[in-house]
Amino acid sequence: MAEFLDLEAQDAVRMPWNVVPGTKQDSSHCGVVPIAAVYTPLKLLPSMPVLPYAALRCRNCRSVLNPFSVVDFVAKLWVCPFCLQRNHFPTHYHSISDQNLPAELFPQYTTIEYESPSEKSTVPPVFFLVVDTCLIEEELGFLRSAVSQAVGLVPENSLVGLITFGTYVYVHELGFGQIPKVYVVRGSKELTKDQVIEQMGFFAKRPKPATGVIAGVRDGLSQETIARFLLPASECEFTINSILEELQKDPWPVPSDQRATRCTGTALSVAAHLLGACVPGSGARIICFVGGPTTDGPGAIVSKNLSEPVRSHKDLDKDSAPYFHKAVKFYEGLAKQLVHQGHVLDLFTCALDQVGVAELKVAVERTGGLVVLAESFGHSVFKDSLKRVFQSDDYDLCLSSNGIFEVNCSKDIRVQGIIGPCASLEKKGPLCSETVVGQGSTSAWKMCGLDKATSLCLVFEIVKKEIPEAIGQSANNQFYFQFLTYYQHHSGQMRLRVTTLSRRWVAGPGSIQDLIAGFDQEAAAAVMARLVSFKMETEAEFDPIRWLDKSLIHLCSRFGDYQKDIPSSFSLSPRFSIFPQFMFHLRRSQFVQVFNNSPDETAYFRTILNRENVANSVVMIQPSLISYSFHSTPEPALLDVAAIAADRILLLDSYFSIVVFHGSTIAQWRKAGYHNQPEHVVFSQLLQAPRDDANAITKERFPVPRLVICDQHGSQARFLLAKLNPSATYNSDIPAPEREILFTDDVSFEVFLDHLQRLAVQ
Amino acid sequence: MATPGGPRPGSTPPNYNPSNVADGMQNLQINRPVGPPTSMANSGSFRPPPPFGQPPPPFSSSAPSSSSFPRASAMARPGPPPPGSGGPPQATFPPNLASNRPSGPPPGTQPPPPFGARPPPPGSVPSSVSSFGARPPSPGLNPFGSSPLASGPVGPPSSTSEPVSNGPPAYGWGAMQGGPRFPSAGSPLTPPVRPSPPTTLSARAPPPAPSMGSLLGSPPTGAPPGPMQAAPFSAPPHGVPPPSGSSPFSAPPQGVPPPSGSSPFAAPPQGMPPTSGSSPLAPPPQGFSPPSGSPYGHQAWAMHPPQVAPPPLMPGSVQAPRMFGMPPQPPNQAMATISPAMGPMGSSMAVPSKIDPNQIPRPMPSSSVILHETRQGNQANLPPPSTSDYIVKDTGNSSPRFLRCTINQIPCTVDLLTTSGMQLALMVQPLALPHPSEEPIQVVDFGESGPVRCSRCKGYINPFMKFIDQGRRFICNLCGFTDETPRDYQCNLGPDGRRRDADERPELCRGTVEFIATREYMVRDPMPAVFFFLIDVSMNAIQTGATAAACSAINQVISDLPEGPRTMVGIATFDSTIHFYNLKRALQQLQEIGSPGSCYLPLMLIVPDVQDVYTPLQTDVIVQLSECRQHLELLLENIPTMFHDNRTADSAFGAAVKAAFLAMKSTGGKLIVFQSGKFELFKILILPSVGIAALSAREAEGRTNISAGEKEAHKLLQPADKTFKTMAVELAEYQVCVDVFITTQTYVDVASISVIPRTTGGQVYYYYPFSAVSDSAKLYNDLRWNVTRPQGFEAVMRVRCSQGIQVQEYFGNFCKRIPTDVDLPAIDCDKTLMVTLKHDDKLPDGAECAFQCALLYTTIYGQRRIRVSTLSLPCTSVLSNLFRSADLDTHFACFLKQAAIEIPSSPLSLVREQVLNLCINILHSYRKFCATVSSSGQLVLPEALKLLPLYTLGLVKSTGLRTDGRIDDRSFWINYVSSLSTPSAIPLVYPRMMAIHDLDSKEVDGSRIPPAIPLSSEHVCDDGIYLLENGEDCLIYIGNSVDPNSTRQLLGISSDDEIPTQFLLQQYDNPLSKKLNDVVNEIRRQRCSYLRLKLCKKGDSSGMLFFSYMVEDKTPSGLSYVEFLVHVHRQIQNKMP
Repeated sequence: MAEFLDLEAQDAVRMPWNVVPGTKQDSSHCGVVPIAAVYTPLKLLPSMPVLPYAALRCRNCRSVLNPFSVVDFVAKLWVCPFCLQRNHFPTHYHSISDQNLPAELFPQYTTIEYESPSEKSTVPPVFFLVVDTCLIEEELGFLRSAVSQAVGLVPENSLVGLITFGTYVYVHELGFGQIPKVYVVRGSKELTKDQVIEQMGFFAKRPKPATGVIAGVRDGLSQETIARFLLPASECEFTINSILEELQKDPWPVPSDQRATRCTGTALSVAAHLLGACVPGSGARIICFVGGPTTDGPGAIVSKNLSEPVRSHKDLDKDSAPYFHKAVKFYEGLAKQLVHQGHVLDLFTCALDQVGVAELKVAVERTGGLVVLAESFGHSVFKDSLKRVFQSDDYDLCLSSNGIFEVNCSKDIRVQGIIGPCASLEKKGPLCSETVVGQGSTSAWKMCGLDKATSLCLVFEIVKKEIPEAIGQSANNQFYFQFLTYYQHHSGQMRLRVTTLSRRWVAGPGSIQDLIAGFDQEAAAAVMARLVSFKMETEAEFDPIRWLDKSLIHLCSRFGDYQKDIPSSFSLSPRFSIFPQFMFHLRRSQFVQVFNNSPDETAYFRTILNRENVANSVVMIQPSLISYSFHSTPEPALLDVAAIAADRILLLDSYFSIVVFHGSTIAQWRKAGYHNQPEHVVFSQLLQAPRDDANAITKERFPVPRLVICDQHGSQARFLLAKLNPSATYNSDIPAPEREILFTDDVSFEVFLDHLQRLAVQ
Repeated sequence: MATPGGPRPGSTPPNYNPSNVADGMQNLQINRPVGPPTSMANSGSFRPPPPFGQPPPPFSSSAPSSSSFPRASAMARPGPPPPGSGGPPQATFPPNLASNRPSGPPPGTQPPPPFGARPPPPGSVPSSVSSFGARPPSPGLNPFGSSPLASGPVGPPSSTSEPVSNGPPAYGWGAMQGGPRFPSAGSPLTPPVRPSPPTTLSARAPPPAPSMGSLLGSPPTGAPPGPMQAAPFSAPPHGVPPPSGSSPFSAPPQGVPPPSGSSPFAAPPQGMPPTSGSSPLAPPPQGFSPPSGSPYGHQAWAMHPPQVAPPPLMPGSVQAPRMFGMPPQPPNQAMATISPAMGPMGSSMAVPSKIDPNQIPRPMPSSSVILHETRQGNQANLPPPSTSDYIVKDTGNSSPRFLRCTINQIPCTVDLLTTSGMQLALMVQPLALPHPSEEPIQVVDFGESGPVRCSRCKGYINPFMKFIDQGRRFICNLCGFTDETPRDYQCNLGPDGRRRDADERPELCRGTVEFIATREYMVRDPMPAVFFFLIDVSMNAIQTGATAAACSAINQVISDLPEGPRTMVGIATFDSTIHFYNLKRALQQLQEIGSPGSCYLPLMLIVPDVQDVYTPLQTDVIVQLSECRQHLELLLENIPTMFHDNRTADSAFGAAVKAAFLAMKSTGGKLIVFQSGKFELFKILILPSVGIAALSAREAEGRTNISAGEKEAHKLLQPADKTFKTMAVELAEYQVCVDVFITTQTYVDVASISVIPRTTGGQVYYYYPFSAVSDSAKLYNDLRWNVTRPQGFEAVMRVRCSQGIQVQEYFGNFCKRIPTDVDLPAIDCDKTLMVTLKHDDKLPDGAECAFQCALLYTTIYGQRRIRVSTLSLPCTSVLSNLFRSADLDTHFACFLKQAAIEIPSSPLSLVREQVLNLCINILHSYRKFCATVSSSGQLVLPEALKLLPLYTLGLVKSTGLRTDGRIDDRSFWINYVSSLSTPSAIPLVYPRMMAIHDLDSKEVDGSRIPPAIPLSSEHVCDDGIYLLENGEDCLIYIGNSVDPNSTRQLLGISSDDEIPTQFLLQQYDNPLSKKLNDVVNEIRRQRCSYLRLKLCKKGDSSGMLFFSYMVEDKTPSGLSYVEFLVHVHRQIQNKMP
């Protein structure tokens, strides 16, 4: 498995099948785990060079010169590995020779970046804050200070705008002259961009052009007009702080049997229009803080009447959520607009109730926005996550913007689509498969917002039908993939990152062992998780458990080693051995078992899943468990109820939350205060160790996970227990008295495996 | 400053005492009881009750106490908007004080108008007076005029004789009072002497109409036939009682028959034809000198037999009322001779001219004060002319200020009314300003149970409810139903059939009382006093200075708003968007960065969507004045600069009003809009394309000012569409009253805009063409009067009538949702409603017919009150009685309003014809049925209505009915008329003109206003300077060859080349200028209007404007007065068989 990590370290790519089935038929035998790649375009690769010139492209397919190109040093030609087109080197490459290679031809630089100095965005990054005011005073206080702090962290030159909203949308004019001004827009009504432009007085001073699109300074707007709403942070920090300080709860009365009138949709729409008018095409983020459900205007998810509950998964399943589709449609439109403008929507929601993340998800995901879901604006999940967005230190998110992602691959491969934070640019071509998964029917995608963690899951399809005659010809058994990411680096420079991959393909009946050898079960689990989530969201009547089980059984019966109908004879190669366990936990995970969660939470989990890399995805599917005790150094423990012991501390990392679980004895000691006594310094260290580890995890993760510290038998312990394999339940045959048991009817992994073996061998 | 005048009691509580004011205007009299004696004693002793206009000097000289008194009263009077010039020159004041005077230019210079409202100077006197001080509004002016009154009125009651004793021959007044004293005063004799001057009037008619003589001829001298008939002369109004002592006193106008023999006066009348109700033109005896009281005699003889002679002694005190303001003037009498005599009495208006036409009837308002008791001897008294100066004592009927009927006897049948050609209508001015010397309206609290009412018609208890059955039951005088008297309200009856407690209970002895409303009368808590200011800040408004003027005016006016938690204010500005201000929130932090001025500026909330407006905040947009005063002031100072470079040409008037309405919806209140120039009427509510198209077409028409010929021209006088009407009804429903100040230089479609104020009980102020220099002062004063005058909110009004009569329709500024009531989101002392009446049955002859107007309203202090005014008038089946008891002013006001109503829907020519016909029909009826003149060559006019032709002529030539006016001017005129009070109706069509170049040479101590000159260019000399005012505008005409010295003294300009188009009246350091200012201020006080001053000179458009007011002149489009009389006469003759 290490080799997969090495590959990832070089190219930021993980593929379930690193040896690719060579024909359509072969690939169909591989079960439902598709030919796919999880690619992290901006992964920090310390050894990667950045070339200060523009990339050399194939004049036929526009792919970029790469180490897999065949170069004729004499003729000064190179052959594109994708389309086999022969290209002349331009004059500035004339000194090329096999002794004097440009960096992009170095074999180890399969991933490389170009930064051409001439291309630099003139507009500094823009942060448009959209702040909910329908909050109780306490929450508003938290929010105020958090936002104020964030504004302080924003780079000085970046532009900042502010909208607050409640019943109405209040667009604050930060660059006001004599008197502070606020434009008040009705919350219940959706405005068009033209209306916003007109109403915000963009053409008060000079006539509006009769035709054409209004777009920033270049097209029709004066800098002063824009500067009324978007001002460099250094100039408007004071103003924003005073506005925030004065910010009051939405003044409109809320009857006791009603929800506050909150027009999140309109506020976002106005923000999008404003950005569209002022800074189209340059990197801008709408950062939206929401504290409750949208109840008014487009994007409303529920009526104001409290007697009507917010939609649940059940309602969605039964299609009895009257607002849902309308709201989703609205946010799809918003997403489209933002993508068109190249702007990002980030969502910070803090509420005990749902706020509409399920509906907003589409806009966040298409634009590559960040989303954080917490219970309160005072909660560290929110506060620390927000800080992380603006922090520039070792854990910098490296927020980049305005990305365009393109794929080239060998002609026998088609792209079905991408599951991940991007939006299709609808660039159709021979590369596009008929079958669409995620954002498909294109070979180019917009990534309005992307950061070092953003990971795309590309799904491919093999279209070669005939079994090639000369399998042995090694030169011809490679598939090539090239990922091009053109983006605005947070320095403002435009960069192009090129990753070129080559994978061997195999075909025919004897190829199974090769396939097994190339199987990356973690990547496969991650891809399966994205796939199943995607299918649950898009396919009506989809039964995820059944689908996963069938896939697993199919995979096991193809790649397992067994004698037919003899379950006990079943065994799996080490390459596959953990995969069933992943599937077991995936079945139990929040991605599939949605009924424990609200639609908002599910949407949140899936959004995060869809932007994380393989390692993190695996943690989400199957949390890691580390055991701390006096008996040994910290060691990984089986994610099983059996791991619980009175004298241990367990550290569970389920990605969204980190649980420090004190066994009952440890808890007693701690309560007795032993760790404060000098003679028990070891105990104190033992207590501290898991916390240090938890902090380490917390620091580099976005969103910041919820940290739960609990004791055995405590109420918070449920965060751990829910994730454990229920190997011992209340109806287990032999409940050992001292062992923890789980009160669940879920099957344990052993039972699951038994069934799997039985079915796989049939 | 004026007010605070020395005399003002220092003790006056700061500003005012809420309760007083709250109670409506009545607070005035608080001192009353005290006052009379003192005043009499001191100042009054010798002086006949000084006429209104009397100059202050008396006071100053008088004992302190006395002076205080009058002054106090003055104070009390919520007078005219304190003209900035507070400056009625008070004797006490050093002239310099006048510095404030230009109060006019409120802009910036002086913050709170120092005048009126501000606390009195310390020095002032008697504590007793203090209550008066309470009246904040503009007392300034009053002191002068009123003070005399104060003493005067008081006097009469206490001692009849006293006044008489006065040296000055009281022309009208004195005579009256002195009735006994000056017995017959040759009057009887004189008449004979002067033969029919009246009759011959016409004869002297100007050459052009030589024939006139015959036409106009009034009855021959001797021919006393129709007493009423010959109006031309200023014969004392109709029923002037015979000279006999009795008549003056008792003489209820309705032909109380003077005991024939009773007085010498009576006798002289040449064969008083008892029968005819009309008085022949009293041939005024030549020598007839005012003091002689003979005039009465004259009229007296005109008296009708029917009169029941009231005992001469009767209410001795009351006699005054009979004095109509128009003392008969011998037609030919030279002005010179008369004036001295009159001077003292202040009847300055009598200005017979030297030319022949001067014998034709002209208004001759007397400036002496008339005492009027509403009922005498259990009969309704004929009210004095509305334009005269009178003091009412409410003795059962409502004061004519509140309720006036076109005819003071009600015809028993429709036929009778139809025959007479007269109108039957009431003018209702429920909150009319009282005279400072009148008793306040009494407030009656019935406690929990609320006022006693008829259980069938819901009429309120009043003096005419008849108690029977030992007081256990009462008969409603309105519907005739017999009700049980509530147990705790029962009282035994006296021998006269009245309740024994009738005199102690105001509701049983007063025509107007106010009841405390119980919860039953409230659908919610009484609303706070909300003032919301909406200011146009579009490019035009900013550039013309209108915004600055408005802000400055508001800034000064807020200090005049009542203190206390019930006063709420809000402010918004608008151009093509609407800007609200959060007045509660202060961005104090800004202070730190040290941009002074912005540190406390409130947050501006912009509502950009004018298609679909809303209010941006639920609270904080309208806040208690006390909480935001500083913010508000700072904001108002800054608004003009904040928008100084505004390039937005449009102003979304409709949307802004709607948005402000939404902000005020929960409370209601006054919305005061300042609108300049172009507005996007149709940007709201209707299809924009359609709307804008409609507007532009209309705008084009309006600008080109479609004049002659277009048949559809009057369409422009109707609102463009229903949008505003719909909105206005909604505004009214939520008790929002809209006043619009239009400061413009172009066509703005007043017709459409005015729908809103009219429907919501508001008012349009129109400054065209707006000039920041000369109009700012008026804007300020108008605004100030608007917010400080006595007013009520969320009002509902209904008029009930006795059986047989019912209300036909209401006209005025209100909203009507159910047929019987009118809703008045706000009502103030200036607003008048016309109520037309119709018969639905025959009335019993000799009975009385009652009208009751009930106004339920909330005072500015949040008390819920019901003001009930009851008027009971006798019914008659005698036609001549109708003519005798006709009320000229009311009648004419009725004509005026009907014409105004008609203009937008009919072509002008048709309206003019209708007006003429109304007039002719009446005169014809009179001629046919009442006049006894045999000669067909004589135009016989009913005495009471003798001025009707003149006023009708004025009406035909007025802005509203002229063909050549601007559309907007006409729309404004229509709108102005719709709520116009009766006293203001006359000057509107027949303005007052006076010479001011010789102010100092005419030392008239009776009045500060020089005598009026007839409105004829013959009276305008090239070497004179004239002032003409109609209650709204004031023109100063400078003749061609005026002595430059006087122009310099008066106006500060040395040659007529320098005559500015934008004029600001200033006081210069010379007596002439001071006098002029005094005069102007006095007029302002009288009119409760600041007047728009304009200089005119011959030869340009301003001169044309001036001469367009010369009603008696022949103009291209109209007849001269004399010609008109000829025309009328011919018409009448044509109708005669």
